Amino acid sequence: MSLDHSSDSALPIKISGLTKKYGDMYALDAVDLDIKSGEFLTLLGPSGSGKTTLLMAIAGFNRPDAGSIRFADQEMILYPPHRREVGMVFQSYALFPHMTVAENIAFPLKLRKVSVEECALRVEEALQTVQLDGLGARNIDQLSGGQRQRVALARAFVFRPRILLMDEPLSALDKKLRERMQIELKQLHRQLGVTTVYVTHDQREALTMSDRIAVINHGKLVQVDTPEAIYNAPANAFVADFIGESTLLPLSLGGGDQLYFGDQSIATVQAAVSAQGGTENNQGWSLVVRPERLLVLDKNSSSSQPLINGFAFDGIVFGGTIRESVFQGESAFLIVALASGADSSGVDVAVRFSTGKAANIESLANGQQIELGLHREDVIVIPQEAD
Amino acid sequence: MAASAGSRLKHADALKRQNRLEQWTLLGLAAPALVVIVLVVLIPVGWLFYLSFLGGDGQFSLENYQKMLKYKSYARTFMTTFQVSILTTLICILIGYPLAYFLAQLPNRIAGLFMLTVLLPFWTSLLVRTYAWLVLLQRKGILNDFAIQIGLWDSPVKLVHNMTGTLIGMAHIMLPFLVLPLYNAMKKIDRDLMQAASNLGATPTRAFWQIYFPLSMPGMVAGSLIVFVLCLGFYVTPAVLGGGRVIMVATQITAILENQYDWGAASALGVVLLVATILVLILASRLFKLDSALFGKG
Amino acid sequence: MQLSIQIRHALAGTAAVLLLAGTAVAEPITVVSWGGTYGAAQDNALFNDASKNTGIEIIRESGASMSKTCLQVESGSVTWDLVVSGSGGAANAAAKGCLEPIDYSVVDVSDFYPNLYTDYCVGSDVFATVMAWNTDKYGEPGSEGAPQNWADFFDAEKFPGTRAYRANNVDGALEPALMADGVAPEDVYEVLSTREGMERAINKIRELKPHIAVFWGSGAQQAQLMKDAEVDMTTGWNGRFDNAKKDGAKVGYTLKQALLDYDCFAMPKGAPNKDVAMKFLAEISKAEYQANLPFHITYGPTNKKAYEVTTASKELIESLPSHPSNVPMMLPVQLDWYAKHREEALELYMELMSE
Repeated sequence: MSLDHSSDSALPIKISGLTKKYGDMYALDAVDLDIKSGEFLTLLGPSGSGKTTLLMAIAGFNRPDAGSIRFADQEMILYPPHRREVGMVFQSYALFPHMTVAENIAFPLKLRKVSVEECALRVEEALQTVQLDGLGARNIDQLSGGQRQRVALARAFVFRPRILLMDEPLSALDKKLRERMQIELKQLHRQLGVTTVYVTHDQREALTMSDRIAVINHGKLVQVDTPEAIYNAPANAFVADFIGESTLLPLSLGGGDQLYFGDQSIATVQAAVSAQGGTENNQGWSLVVRPERLLVLDKNSSSSQPLINGFAFDGIVFGGTIRESVFQGESAFLIVALASGADSSGVDVAVRFSTGKAANIESLANGQQIELGLHREDVIVIPQEAD
Repeated sequence: MAASAGSRLKHADALKRQNRLEQWTLLGLAAPALVVIVLVVLIPVGWLFYLSFLGGDGQFSLENYQKMLKYKSYARTFMTTFQVSILTTLICILIGYPLAYFLAQLPNRIAGLFMLTVLLPFWTSLLVRTYAWLVLLQRKGILNDFAIQIGLWDSPVKLVHNMTGTLIGMAHIMLPFLVLPLYNAMKKIDRDLMQAASNLGATPTRAFWQIYFPLSMPGMVAGSLIVFVLCLGFYVTPAVLGGGRVIMVATQITAILENQYDWGAASALGVVLLVATILVLILASRLFKLDSALFGKG
Repeated sequence: MQLSIQIRHALAGTAAVLLLAGTAVAEPITVVSWGGTYGAAQDNALFNDASKNTGIEIIRESGASMSKTCLQVESGSVTWDLVVSGSGGAANAAAKGCLEPIDYSVVDVSDFYPNLYTDYCVGSDVFATVMAWNTDKYGEPGSEGAPQNWADFFDAEKFPGTRAYRANNVDGALEPALMADGVAPEDVYEVLSTREGMERAINKIRELKPHIAVFWGSGAQQAQLMKDAEVDMTTGWNGRFDNAKKDGAKVGYTLKQALLDYDCFAMPKGAPNKDVAMKFLAEISKAEYQANLPFHITYGPTNKKAYEVTTASKELIESLPSHPSNVPMMLPVQLDWYAKHREEALELYMELMSE
């Protein structure tokens, strides 16, 4: 493809101390964020977390109360939106209904006084890039949702902006199309090499597409890291809960340095503190249990030596009762009431496993006793939230 | 094989009957409106046509139309009528567009409050509003008195009993008819579109002219047509504020009736005005794709 | 004996009450006049007292018009019983067959001026179409420098200022122009009987048109224009100006060269309460009611006897248009001319207005 932007045309974004208040509520609370040149960074958070406010501040659509937004070395905070040279894909697509597809895409080019010939050329290129060749003459209301999405995308990058912003661009599409577009957007990003800031509340989408994810809540950045790091080492209960499925099991401090769940020793405080980057914690600790990391142990295993598929298992073992088993095609999951220790009785955890014949799901009936295992490497311990 | 064909057609007739029943029900629901339209529109208009072709002796004749060509006053009256209607529409657009734009930018609740002030005139009688303008604008009226007192001008300016006064009064009365559809059209314009335009590099001025203005056109065309057509048949305001110097078709119809009790001649004037109005609407629908202007797009 | 007499009286009284009740049961009649001080004057002088004295109930409506009368008659839904009209309008409506002939065995016109009733219309009052002016601007009537005649009205150099003239109706509009143009009053209708004569009048008005600030459409508007000092001089009906003056307007007028005309009561053909209405018309045509009219509006009675029975002052009586001392200086309106030429004259006048 000829639409090959050299990555040196991408710009890094440096946000510091960005604050925006609506009444008494902080939509953005002194946000500091460095976005690398050419990076695909996702702002992830629940609705009302401030992720869209942050995106709109970068685009110039809202006026923060204080702070700085730099594109490379250029301070942009006082620039009006039309002078920021930032491409943006809106959640509503914001296509101009009185213009054809081609006119929509040509709009930013005409504003930049691109010659008629080049304009036609670049519109055609852009249409090819988003696989809409030949649809330039269509009216917007003749397009499907997915096609509109692609037009919005083409219009956002056709003028070669060095930063591309996307505000939940896939939220209006159905699941299948959304998943296909996620891959396409990822490929397009690689092809354009442009610094991309992507807003979503869908953690799976964020994990799929991002180089880095910035988790935001109550106007504050909670954790900024790669998808793997965020998933495997969530900074706190909010991140653990928001990214992937998880159950938090409160741990008790036992003899010496040990943290216990019931009578199971889970980890040492020292290990927990070092995993959290040395942060001391007075609130206590919780174990993050992810459904796919729990293992169903063999039924006949003797109490002295737990087995898995006939092999010895030397990880942590939880006993419990099956409350529900759900078959979902490629995988299945159980809801198990853990019954280890008086204080933690009644905590439900989910267990997900793939549905090979060997899984023998029929044998897992409700009310049955079961043993679950967790490898020591999969232990994630996080500080408990202050109330 | 025959059995399977039969089962494929099972209930086909009954289902078709249900379909038909549904259509008849719809027609039945529309019937009262259709009856009303026939009674209060078609029959009277037909009667008007019939009367206009009756001569003084009660026989078919074109004399009523010939008379319109014989005396210059008729052509002039039609000219005045169209002139007043066009000018009133233009004034309404000049005042109404910024007003509707302003309202459309406000949060709904505050816009509602402002809209109330736009609509308030609707709740006062036309006559009262018209005479209020007379009191304001006449030679020794409030406006002239005030302007002279503060030294704006030395002797009374003729603001009423002429075209100026007529246009002021008409524009005031017609303004809501323009603002309402225009406001509606503007409310439907997605705010994201303006943001998108500026994001793509358009200055606020360009964004307005290239995006907002074209998208507000349907509302403006609809409102302008309503104003224009209403103006064509207006009587009270030009009669009172025109001071006999702005004679519109409705005034002349009244004059003919009051003086000559001549239904045929009056009907002929009404027919010509009606036909002229329909021609304007047809022309407008060609120019502006009226169906989408009046009924919105998909 | 004494008792029986009393009983007989009582019985007679009861019978009388029953008789009265009998008339009261009759449908109320609908009497239609104009708005402003004119209708009010008729209420106070004629209708209220006549209703009380006869026991005939009336429904009063405003907006009297011969065209609406004809509409009611032609559409066969007559709701009006008595309608006020200008003399010309009534003649026109009668010619179109919209009016019921007056039953002169019921209505007694033996004391009427002979030219103030026709087969279809009974005169109600005599008025004059005059020129009136703002007295602050041109002086009181009769004073030195005040306008004297129609020539002065049409002379915008001698009497600079704004004028008002009749709108969309040619009644009483052409005669003043001709007199201003030097035609003697007695020759006016003869001159007007040709197209050239009408155009001569129209041209005279056309000369004045730049100074005509307002064309008036009603008697109420004439009064309002003078009250508001919106114009300096206007044509109009004398009674309206007297009432405006009573309300404080700086207005005066002259009967010199004024057009002498009368209003009358007509009955739509097929009036719903024809007989009762005819009785009511007979009642209000009596001198005793007509004698009260000048107190409320300075229009003269059509019943000569009213001059004898009225208690109005000599000064008031002498100011009325129909007073013998005034009639000679005025031009009586000729209904014949209107019957023949009104339509054409109106078309020409509308041309002038629409210019």
